[in-house]
Amino acid sequence: MTPFLLGLIGIALSLPVPALLGRADWPYRSPAAGIVMWQSLALAAILATSGAGLSTALWLVSEDDPQPWRVALHVLLLLVGVLIWARFWWAVWTVWRRTGARRRRQRHLVDLLAEPEGDVSDRVGPALRVLQHESPVAYCLPDRTKSRVVVTSGAIEHLSADELRAVLEHERAHVSARHDLVLEGFEFLRAAYPRVLRTDAPLEQSRVMVELLADDAARRVAGDRALAGAIVALAGSQTPAGTLGVGSAATIRMARLRDPRSGWWAAGLAWAISVVVLVVPTVFLAGPWIFHAIDVLRG
Amino acid sequence: MNVLWDADEPLSVREVQDALDADGSGRDLAYTTVMTVLDRLGAKHMVDRERDGRAFRYTPSQTRESAAAELIDAALDASGDRTSALVHFARSVDPAEAAALRRALDEM
Repeated sequence: MTPFLLGLIGIALSLPVPALLGRADWPYRSPAAGIVMWQSLALAAILATSGAGLSTALWLVSEDDPQPWRVALHVLLLLVGVLIWARFWWAVWTVWRRTGARRRRQRHLVDLLAEPEGDVSDRVGPALRVLQHESPVAYCLPDRTKSRVVVTSGAIEHLSADELRAVLEHERAHVSARHDLVLEGFEFLRAAYPRVLRTDAPLEQSRVMVELLADDAARRVAGDRALAGAIVALAGSQTPAGTLGVGSAATIRMARLRDPRSGWWAAGLAWAISVVVLVVPTVFLAGPWIFHAIDVLRG
Repeated sequence: MNVLWDADEPLSVREVQDALDADGSGRDLAYTTVMTVLDRLGAKHMVDRERDGRAFRYTPSQTRESAAAELIDAALDASGDRTSALVHFARSVDPAEAAALRRALDEM
């Protein structure tokens, strides 16, 4: 039974559960706990899937009376497990290399095109680059040692001094907390699952949550009003390159700025979910199975 | 790099060095330093070089404008696939949402 129960849990945690949670908006009340919740769900899904694969393999070699249909089912389960594992590591390798190459290219270009601005930067941290361009854009290129925060001259024109401070603080928070690594983790995971078992919810929600976390850092320095002004100035002034529906990150961030009550119950719920998904399958399925496996392997 | 962008024709290492020394900053760069920098730029595909007799002459592989455009395009690209390299401050939103955001700001 263990392989099928673990397989079921793996599938449930990969698709229906995240898809359902992805529709809820309470996790945004507590972004840090929310990110932990998504990470726990991901880890639990990976563990359950791997456990399903391992226990299937053991069943195949140790079953005394293998009926053909049960063997077929187990082989299928094993194949799905192996496939997801292989795809995960392949995704880690390719996504990592691709983003790294893109970031390096961007950094070289930025460094060549933009003069380092000593007067706008007010402290040590990622190097600030000002790009002469009328589109109001601000972003960061995170890196272990050579991070860049890039703003265009257009952005500086659109923003007041306080708003610019909020933007810079927001980007610095991204860089120093390495939010890019959090998102990359979810990208690996998303790429690991075959299309039918995949949901965008963890990546999408985490994208917004790291923005909320960086917003918190910016609010502490520049204040709510300046940050809100900056969001409106930068989000509302460009022609969108693609169509983005209402409910994008900017709206959620604004809503949180207007009502910044910290959601202790949201944090509690997110932590509870994290603990349950990690502990329950481990204690009730994986643990007993490990003892069983030791017995079987000892003969 | 700016020297190459400002020039109309491919420059040799010596010419780049002269231009850098002549910019009034009082720098006195060694020939080998300039050569190393140009070499590195070549490795990063920022400049192309062509053989001219015994020396190389260097040209920028793209104009200043196209390099800036490449950066801004990557930054504005909303497809989500290429953007993992950048973490944005705020992505652009459609006009209806922008109006709603402005109203929200006015009420704060």
